[in-house]
Amino acid sequence: MSESLQLAVGDRVVYPNQGLCTVTGIGSEQIAGQSLVFVSLVFEETKARVKVPQEKLVKNGVRRVSSGDDVKKLFEFLTAEGDKASLDWKKRARDNVARLAGGGLVGLASVVKELQVLSELRALPPKEREQYNDARHLLVTELAAAMGASEADAEDALDAALFPVGKERPKRSVEEFKALLGGEGEDGELGLGDDLLGIDGEGVEAAEPGEAGGDTTVEGEAAGEEEGEEKPKAEEPKKRGRPPKAAKEAKAEKPAPKAALSDVEVTLPQGLPLAPPLPKKRGRPPKAKPVEVVVQAPAETPAPKKRGRPPKAKTAAPAAAPKKRGRPAKAKK
Amino acid sequence: MIRVVTLDEFDPIVIKELKKVLFTAFGVGCEHLGPGTVPASMHEPFDAQKLMEAMPKVTAFADDKVLYLTSRKLAPRKLASGEVPTFGLSQYNGQRCIVSTAQVKNLTENVKTVARYAMQELGHTFGLHHCLDPRCSMYAQWTPTYVTGEAIFCVFCREQTEQKIRAAKS
Repeated sequence: MSESLQLAVGDRVVYPNQGLCTVTGIGSEQIAGQSLVFVSLVFEETKARVKVPQEKLVKNGVRRVSSGDDVKKLFEFLTAEGDKASLDWKKRARDNVARLAGGGLVGLASVVKELQVLSELRALPPKEREQYNDARHLLVTELAAAMGASEADAEDALDAALFPVGKERPKRSVEEFKALLGGEGEDGELGLGDDLLGIDGEGVEAAEPGEAGGDTTVEGEAAGEEEGEEKPKAEEPKKRGRPPKAAKEAKAEKPAPKAALSDVEVTLPQGLPLAPPLPKKRGRPPKAKPVEVVVQAPAETPAPKKRGRPPKAKTAAPAAAPKKRGRPAKAKK
Repeated sequence: MIRVVTLDEFDPIVIKELKKVLFTAFGVGCEHLGPGTVPASMHEPFDAQKLMEAMPKVTAFADDKVLYLTSRKLAPRKLASGEVPTFGLSQYNGQRCIVSTAQVKNLTENVKTVARYAMQELGHTFGLHHCLDPRCSMYAQWTPTYVTGEAIFCVFCREQTEQKIRAAKS
């Protein structure tokens, strides 16, 4: 057990991902024949109560409220240069979760700063926006407790470091971002993962499922199209996906932005209206005409099935006389 | 319910328009409680925090929000990261907030700007933090483009507000 976590009743501690708590009691209890010391905590915001074994406080990441020195370090960190945000969304998400769980005051601040820098490039996806909000909330509450000030003052102090007074936030471009990162994400991956593709449905809607070939992702399709333009077609006989008519349309609309990784979309600064989206095709995608299928592979295509009940097999036997309806005539005696 | 208390004289048209915008933004009723009196010990520019605490109690329910509106200046605050101008202040997750219209010229034509400041302070009383979207009313107030924006919330902040109001009602 760490020496720094010798708690007393009335102490204020920070529970990771939950916020500030007050120690309301310390006592031993018998659990399964073992005597364990439990620390009772009350969350200041929700007034929820929790009992944590004293041995597990450090393991769970419970720590004391930051000191004045930590606050100084925090503001130094916030005002320092080095606006850096990973463009790999998986790495970013993993790092942010780890920092929120046990990063301390500077860890929380780094999540806020990183996501804010990223938002200067493009709008944050909903999940990251929530993560940003959570991190900011935890940071503001802890900062207020550490500074002994109100939350309003703590948040304004934080924002005065992040958004200098009288200045507008810088608008970043992808090139600038890549330069800051020193080449990270040069493969074109801008962290536009599945969650981002779902923003307003732009990425997903741009590539219609009927045209995408069914089993390919949007990113994969975009990459495939690029490769297809440069290399000669190796597999000629395989004609999957779009019917020839649709392909012509696609060629006609060549300058239209790519499905998900459009530069226009990415480089637009926040606050400005996005580039006009492609006109939506309403309703179902058009079905491939059976005539075209016949042209592609006439030998293999079976005869079109006739719908409905199959006709009865004609028999050679002469047709029976039609049955007379009603009661049969009585036999004459 | 949002209750507006005016600490100075305002044009009724301004108040009417402000109430309308706040009602639209939060989806809760908004009424003008009437004029309030600033304690004699307070002098312009006001210390926003002290003024909010010094104001007499207003008849309101526990989940009501009280907005004090003044045309006089609020003193800038000295914080750990520097001095910041104060156009308004609020009690986070609390009941009271104060907004100054001193920085808004030609009030009758710029009610939306006042409403934007009021929305931010009321948003803080509902527990909202500053937003990253410059179009949202919860964006940092001291940025140059803030005054030119519309009195609206971004989708995220609107959802948060609705959630908080629903939680307060239940």
